[in-house]
Amino acid sequence: MNPAPAIQLAVNASGLVKRYGDVLAVDGLDLDIPAGQFFGLLGPNGSGKTSTIHMLATLIRPNSGSAKIFGNDVVRDAVATRASIGLVFQESALDRTLSIAENLRFAGLLYDLPAKVIEERSAELLALFGLEEKRNRPVGSLSGGMRRALDIVRGVIHHPKILFLDEPTIGLDLPNRRKIWRFIENLREQTGMTVLLTTHYLEEADSCDRVAFIKNGKLVQSGSPAELIASLGRYIVEIESPDVEALAQRLMPSLGNHLRDGNVAHFRYAHDDVSRLAGLQTEPGIQVSALRWRQPNLNDVFLWVAEGKA
Amino acid sequence: MAHWRPVYAVLEREVVRMVRQRTRLVSAMVRPLIWLFVIGAGFGAVLQQAGGVSYQQFLVPGVLGMTMLFGAMLAALTMVYDKESGVMRMLIMAPFPHYWIVVAKMLAAALAALLQASLLLVLLALLGYLDAHMRFGLLALALLATSAACAGIGMLVAAFTRTLDNFAAIMNFVIFPVFFLSGSLYPVNRLPAALKAVALANPYTYGVDLLKHAVLGVLPSGMGADFAASTDIAVLAGFTVAALLVASWRFSRESAYEPMIRILTGKRDG
Ligand SMILES: Nc1ncnc2c1ncn2[C@@H]1O[C@H](COP(=O)(O)OP(=O)(O)O)[C@@H](O)[C@H]1O
Ligand SMILES: [Mg+2]
Repeated sequence: MNPAPAIQLAVNASGLVKRYGDVLAVDGLDLDIPAGQFFGLLGPNGSGKTSTIHMLATLIRPNSGSAKIFGNDVVRDAVATRASIGLVFQESALDRTLSIAENLRFAGLLYDLPAKVIEERSAELLALFGLEEKRNRPVGSLSGGMRRALDIVRGVIHHPKILFLDEPTIGLDLPNRRKIWRFIENLREQTGMTVLLTTHYLEEADSCDRVAFIKNGKLVQSGSPAELIASLGRYIVEIESPDVEALAQRLMPSLGNHLRDGNVAHFRYAHDDVSRLAGLQTEPGIQVSALRWRQPNLNDVFLWVAEGKA
Repeated sequence: MAHWRPVYAVLEREVVRMVRQRTRLVSAMVRPLIWLFVIGAGFGAVLQQAGGVSYQQFLVPGVLGMTMLFGAMLAALTMVYDKESGVMRMLIMAPFPHYWIVVAKMLAAALAALLQASLLLVLLALLGYLDAHMRFGLLALALLATSAACAGIGMLVAAFTRTLDNFAAIMNFVIFPVFFLSGSLYPVNRLPAALKAVALANPYTYGVDLLKHAVLGVLPSGMGADFAASTDIAVLAGFTVAALLVASWRFSRESAYEPMIRILTGKRDG
């Protein structure tokens, strides 16, 4: 008998590897997520986010490594694992020929819930998501945003301990993305559920307790959004020039590495006295066509991480 | 461990869909009646009435079987449609072993077949094609066993089929041969040797034969059942269990996980 760990881990994965033929989709990933955390797995398309979620959800097998969800091994205790998780895929998991209520009934019965419990929870969740009026509408007739909302309701009808959301807002317009966002926040407030989210809209990850960046199947950086942003420095300085290369070479000793975006060079700046850089515009030997500075954000963290310069 | 509520969910969905898809239900009734009236009456006029059974009467077990074969096949093949829609995603993330999906789907296909055959039976009774000599207990058993076996054929096909693009091929290379190379249209004992060998290997043959036992009985003319009822039951039960095992194995074995990725991500290739 092991003593109960001080912090219960919702996800405890080590050395996860997933290969598809020659493609190494996930490359020795380690991931610990404490219960109750709102965790964001961030990375560009093809970086291995979906493959990671599918392994954690027992739906594909890792080639090596292991993972536990609330203590259940995803390979050996797949059924017990599936009982404790809720899943919302990139592709919707709904029957378009059935109504909203019928879909939830079907999903609930699959989780062995009695019809009465399904009724109660459907009513509660549909109210939370503003769908109660439409409960008898066929899913095929719903808008993309409503369908995604219903997909989330479907994913939590059995009150999972952890909810996996794989790009929950992909393909939606901004108002609908905001709405979905609010649903997830309400849901977390009401249930305290652990949430593992993937997205490549980085601004959506600002409210996460912790985020990790994944690149080519490897975790490259993780921490709280505020920490990661702070680690970049106080400001991001953007300098536009007809000859960015020369400018960057010139400023390298004082400002360090840069990222290039067309004819704009991005520098990190660690101090408060950023306004002194205004002097660069008049400095001989450098051509500056524009100069601005701003607070860094997660997008910057991501760009610096992706370039391997953070 | 059994998971009956999920099975119930799958059965309920099948029935709801069957009731909603009226055209599917109507054509499931019209198809056998056309055979009975058109083929039955046409050949009946050419063929001599043999041993007190008109050709139309001879066809009754065959068209009952046909309803079950088509009903079960179409229901089982919705599994292929489900693979392409979100339903299979709901099923594979649910907390039971994946072979249980096959169990549930096979029961749903058998139920669809059974309901359609029962409805046809009512129509046939109203049209005066059933008489009081029938052995109703045996008929019930024949309907059950044949529905299950037809669902087994359907699950085998569904387990080895990726997309509904090849539905026409399934019609041509599975459903039609299974139907024609059975005792549905002619007594098995009068078939030429090669065709007879195929009919003997066809599990559906024994379903039709059991239906003949119930509807026609064993006739001296050879127009009734060809085999012993116990043989029919043994073959149907054995085949159903074997089909269930093979389809479950196919669905839950390790490499079947890779097609599952396709279900998850909607990727057709790769
Ligand atoms: N079923 C598959 N077959 C082959 N390659 C795949 C499959 N699924 C994903 N991949 C590849 O694995 C890599 C990671 O993909 P994925 O996990 O979907 O990343 P993400 O979700 O971050 O976009 C990509 O290069 C992708 O093309
Ligand atoms: Mg993805």
